[in-house]
Formats: sequence, C-alpha cells, structure tokens
Amino acid sequence: MHESQLLHFAAHRLQEVALLIMATVYTIRLIWLFRFKAGGDRQGRTGRFSTSPQKGALYSLANIAMPWAMESTRTKPVFWIQFALFHLGVTAAITLSFVIPYAPSVLNNGLVVFGFQAFIGAACLIGCYRMYRRISDKTMRAISAPDDYFSLALLTVWFAFGVLAAPNDISNGEGIMITFFMLTAFFLIYVPFSKIGHYLYYPITRYYLGRSLGYRGVFPIQKSVKPQKVAH
Amino acid sequence: MATQVRSHKAQKVLDRLSKKLNRQMVGSMIACVHCGMCTESCHYVQTNPDDPTYAPAYKADQIRKIFKRHHDWMGRVFPWWVHAKTILTDEDLEELKDIAFGKCTNCRRCTINCPMGVDFATVNRMVRGLLVHVGVMPEGVSVVSKDQWEIGNQMGVLKEDYIDTIEWMEEELQDELEDPEAKIPIDKPDCDIVYTINPREVKYDPRTIADAAKIFYYAGANWTMASEGWDMTNFGLFSGDDDLGGTVAKRVYEKVQELNGKMLVISECGHGYRSTRCEGPNWGGVTLPFDSESSVDTMLRYIKEGKIKVDKTKNSTPVTFHDSCNNARSCGLYEEPRELLNLVCSDFREMYPNRAENYCCTGGGGAMSMGEYTPRRLKSAEVKANQLRETGAKIVITSCHNCVDGLNDLIKHYKLDMGVTQLVNLVAEALVPPEKAVPAQEPKAAATLKGYKILVVDDEPDTLTYLTTVLEDNEATTLQAADGATGIELAKKEKPDLITLDISMPGMDGGEVFARLREDPETRMIPVCIVSGKPELRGLIYDKPHRPPEGYLDKPVEEETLVLNARKILELARKQN
Repeated sequence: MHESQLLHFAAHRLQEVALLIMATVYTIRLIWLFRFKAGGDRQGRTGRFSTSPQKGALYSLANIAMPWAMESTRTKPVFWIQFALFHLGVTAAITLSFVIPYAPSVLNNGLVVFGFQAFIGAACLIGCYRMYRRISDKTMRAISAPDDYFSLALLTVWFAFGVLAAPNDISNGEGIMITFFMLTAFFLIYVPFSKIGHYLYYPITRYYLGRSLGYRGVFPIQKSVKPQKVAH
Repeated sequence: MATQVRSHKAQKVLDRLSKKLNRQMVGSMIACVHCGMCTESCHYVQTNPDDPTYAPAYKADQIRKIFKRHHDWMGRVFPWWVHAKTILTDEDLEELKDIAFGKCTNCRRCTINCPMGVDFATVNRMVRGLLVHVGVMPEGVSVVSKDQWEIGNQMGVLKEDYIDTIEWMEEELQDELEDPEAKIPIDKPDCDIVYTINPREVKYDPRTIADAAKIFYYAGANWTMASEGWDMTNFGLFSGDDDLGGTVAKRVYEKVQELNGKMLVISECGHGYRSTRCEGPNWGGVTLPFDSESSVDTMLRYIKEGKIKVDKTKNSTPVTFHDSCNNARSCGLYEEPRELLNLVCSDFREMYPNRAENYCCTGGGGAMSMGEYTPRRLKSAEVKANQLRETGAKIVITSCHNCVDGLNDLIKHYKLDMGVTQLVNLVAEALVPPEKAVPAQEPKAAATLKGYKILVVDDEPDTLTYLTTVLEDNEATTLQAADGATGIELAKKEKPDLITLDISMPGMDGGEVFARLREDPETRMIPVCIVSGKPELRGLIYDKPHRPPEGYLDKPVEEETLVLNARKILELARKQN
C-alpha cells in the first residue's frame, strides 16, 4: 500500500524542516550561552590529590549513568529506573521517526517492532505517572509552570502515538502515522524553547560543576558509608 | 491600565544581575527541569514537609523568574508560560531576602544531589549579593559586614583587645609549659607559618589559640601571628558581596607577603578556609605567591613527620565528627580530619551521612547572625540533632567555629547530652611532651579573682548560687540579683568590676538590662559577660546598637571556663583603664 502525499510530506519534508529549525535555534542558543564568560579558579587546588578537574568533569558528566553516585538516586532506585526508561523511550521514539521514512524494512521484523513498542510504551506509562505526580504532589505543583505540564503531556501523547506507529502499518488508515509525524515535527520545533531542551544544557552545567569540584577534591564523591550499629 | 513604576532598588538589582551572570550561573538558571530530586536533600524541607516554599527548586525559581523575564527568550515573550516575572517593588526584594537569607544556608547539599548539576547555592549567594548591594539584608548581616569593612574583622575586635588576648594566652602557655621562652610571636618576619584565626577565638574561645600555640611550640615551628589581617573569616562568602570578600581576603594575603611568610595556615573554620584558601583569590583577582593550608593539614603533617607525638588514650570519650559544608562539600577537606581524629582519639564514631554528603549544622551561611530566622533554623536542626543522637557520642568534633555555635545551639535546643569541640583542642590534649619538657612538678596554683567585685544577675536560684559559689571559691567578692531591675540598681550602687548577666528573665529581660547598663553613664564602662542557656535570644543583645558585651558563655558553664573568662575580661579591663 502506498502512502499518501500528506504522509510522505509529514514523514520527510516536514521532519527535515523541523530538524533544520531545531538545529538553527540550538545554535543561536549555544552562541547566546557561550557569550557569558566562564568563571575560573585562580587558587591552588584543594582536597584529595587523586582527583583533578578532568576526573571531576568526567565523573560529573557520567553521573547520570551512575545511580549510586548521588544520594538522591541511590536512595530512590525506582525513580532512577523510571528516569532511564523514560529517556530510553525518547531515544526509541526519535529513532522510530527516522526508521519509518528511511529504513522501513527494519520494521518487518516483529521483534524489532515489539522492542520499539516496549520502550516507547514504558515511557508512555511513566509519562502518565509523572503527570500524576506533578499534579498530586504539593511541592511538584509549586515548582511547575505551564511549560512543565505541556512538555510532559506532549511527550506522553507522542509516546502513545509512537507505540501505535511502530508497526508502520497504514492498512487501516494513515491517521496514526500522520499524527505521529506531526507531533514529532512539533516536538522538534518546540524543544529548544521548552524545558525539553535541557539535554543541551546538561553537558555544560555538569561539566563546569565537575571541573570545579574535581579541582577541589570533592568529585568523585566519597560515598557515605553507613556505620555498623554498635551498642552504646 | 497604569504601568507600575519600578522602585530604584529593584532597578539596581536588575542592572547588577546582568553584570553578575557568568556561564555557570546562566546554566543553573536554564537547566532545571523541575524534577524535584533536590527536594529531600534539604534539611529545611525535611523538617517542613508540608511547606513547598522550602524546596530548593522553588527557592531557585524565585530567582529564575527574574532571570527568565529579563534574559531568556521564552520568559520575555511568553512570561506566564514559564513563570517568568519581574521585580517591581521593595516588597518584592523583601520576599527575595526571606528566601535567600532565611530559607537557605547555602550548604550546597541540593547541588550535589541535582541530576542536572544546577548549583543553587552559588545562585543563592549571588542573589544575596544583589540584595546587599541595595541594602536589603538582615540586620545582623549588615552589622557584621560593617565591622569587617571598618574594623577589619567580623566581630569588631579592636587591635588592642586582640593583642591583649594573645599576650594573655602567651602567659597561660608559659605557665602551663613552665617555659618563659614559649611565645606567641606577633609580626615576626620570614616565618615558615603565618597563622590566621577566627575572631570568635579571641572573643569567646581563646583556649584554641593557646592550644594551637602549644602544638607549634612542641613542633618547634617557626611561626607567627599577624597584628593586622589576622581574621581569616570572610563575611563576603555569606553576604554574597564579592567586593567585601576580595578586600578581606587581600588584607590577609598582603600581611603574609609583608611578613614574607612562606605558608598561610588557616585555623579550623569552614567558611574561613573556603574564603581564604579557595574563593579569596577569585574575588580579589590575585594569584598567591605563597602556599596556604588548613591547620588540620598542619597538625596531621606534624604527627606524620614525627614533629609532635600524641597519645590517643588521652581522649577516650566517644566522639563523632561533623563535616563543615564549606570544608567538605566545597573544598574536599574531609579525609584529613578523620585521619587526624583516628590518631588522637580512641573512640571515634562516624555519623551518617558524612563527608560531602553530611547535613549542614544549620548555622551555616551566616545564619547565626540572623536572629530573626532563629526559630526556622532550630526547627530545621532536628535533622542534625537526630544524626548526632544516633552516634551515641558524647562529643562532636568539628573543624569550623560557625558549626561549633550552630551545633551548640541545637544540642541545647534538642537537649542532647553532648559537647562540641575542635580538633586543635583534641590534638593539644593528646600531646606527649618531649622528655626534657616534662619536669615532674606540681602544677602552679591558678591565678584567682581576688580583689574583684562581681555582680551575678540571674533569675534561676540554682544558677545564681552556682555562679556566686564558683566566683567566691576563686576569691572574688560577689553580689547577687535575681531580676533585672535589682541588677541595674546594684550595678549603679556598687559599681562592680564585672557583671554576669542572664538573658531570659521574667520582667525585664537581659537584653533590656544590657541596654540600660550601656546607656547609663554610671554603668556604661562596667564589663558584662552574658551567661545564657538560650542562644536563640542572642539577638536581644547583639542586635542592639551598643558596644557588644565583653564575654558570652553558654549555660551550663563549667567552673574552669567561668573563671578563665572572668579573669580575661577583668584583666583586659584593667589594662584598658
């Protein structure tokens, strides 16, 4: 079955334009950010000499893949697993938006389709839970702006359509596929203006924090070891 | 609709914000995803779980709002979408003040727990600086900053008082060591070590100076203290005022250079170490031509090099160690104190969490000088109190004077059976004198208070009896007053040489009594030593525009401490007269 012109446009030209806009805005954003001068360290280094700015920066950047590194993730492993699955879902959905137009034969394998659906579906469920948490938790509500709710809702809906689009089957109509690609395009254009663009800033904030705390012997962090209970 | 005009102060804050932003700061402004992971890392949140305004992300957002409204594209075009908001009035600035000074100790615990690497503590410090620039700050911050700008140290210690205290400690040292050659050198040029201290040591804890001097003496160190530029603390760190920070740090550096010192040694103080060792060169825009280190490193090195010998069995009481946030979380100084502790104590018990993950003493970030936030501070201290209680230790050691005060406060408030001390005291206690330096002689009789008349003002009969008994046992003549009015009357009539004054008393409280004594020409010059069990009421004394009291002691006060401090105050007063 051949795709319609609209679907072809949504899957190809629209994505290319959206990607171009995203790249342009990101470039402008980075130029803006790098126009601010970076603070530096004039003083002699402190702390353990087994650490260094380079080690600190590397540790800081890899921090996200080390749930044991921070107390906040160490003590909440389920939260970290959610985080990991959610972002794997984002990766899978983005990959899917390229696979469908450029390598559709990959999706002839039922296992691959299932893999996509599993990751994106899990992310969708986590998105629902995160929305519930953001709405029901007093503190989360207090720190949330409309952009936080909208970004999360956008991703969750996008995931839902990603799950449905993964088989790349238009025999029952193109509505799902067109919606998925439209959402993908909107997502790409909206990202640099929203909180979803945090992945662009993540390497920068973590690098500088790590470099500084590595220089001062704090990073890599020496994890607190809980003392054995003793009878006092 | 009428447009609201921005206040002069609000405009100045916005203008200065543009100048203070650097890449790291901007990163912290735009990278937060509001995931809430930082929330539970904050001791304020843990003790106020139903109040979201304590959440680090919420607090940071009050600053981000302004940044977004004026510097970020979405905030400029669609402010409501990202909760961007400008500041217009002085009331807006007061709200920011409440957050920046009253709901955060800049302990940086949220920073190390943020997946995005948002450094909220640094942002918060910047906001404090913006507010201070337009004069919006807690009164205590203003008073301390003024002292540090004008007098050169943050407790307003005059040069003659500082020198007198050093000389007094030198005499104590000579008596203890029975060596008239045991010196505390001042302004000695070309030394290996220039030792800088916290003015709190001069004012409330001179024993730490004598203990450090004893360690230097046993190590045979070529060291000196400075007559000026001796205060290594730096209120610029707390107030966010980089100009003050740079000026204060440079005073210390310039003195070391003037004396041609080889190494600057910083006594135990978290914020002093961070300011002088780490941040000072950045604030002051200088590169130091000499080395610097914490006295913890110095003491450890002396033991490792065999310059001093210690006997850990001399410190057998169970101890735990509290990591100062500035030392551990901002400067990586956390293994050295443990190594030292294990050499000088026989029963060291780790608290949990510890090192860079430790909780704030809750007195950090200048909180001890902001009396208006004391109830919040003490409430948040429950986290620390539980941590301490869990160790079962009888003494908590910390390498920070600020933490000493913060911990003392919470120990009293939560009725923990603990004391607080520093590593220098433990090392001095554990010292094994070299063979030739231990002539087996009877200790010299301590000097007495003979000839002095001391008025004790306290509403608690037990305390009144205890204080007068101790003073009389040391040959002082005492007068008693069970309330403030009687105290003032007796002070006028009897003109005592010293007044010990309780703060919390029914009727006229100690703050009022103190003010009246200072305002009355007849009693103005009588030295006053506050003896109080309620440190949270300290503001009643120190927030007043009078000459501060000559001494301050926490209840319960030990006999030796009372006598030592009374003697110090009386001797200083006599010299000044």
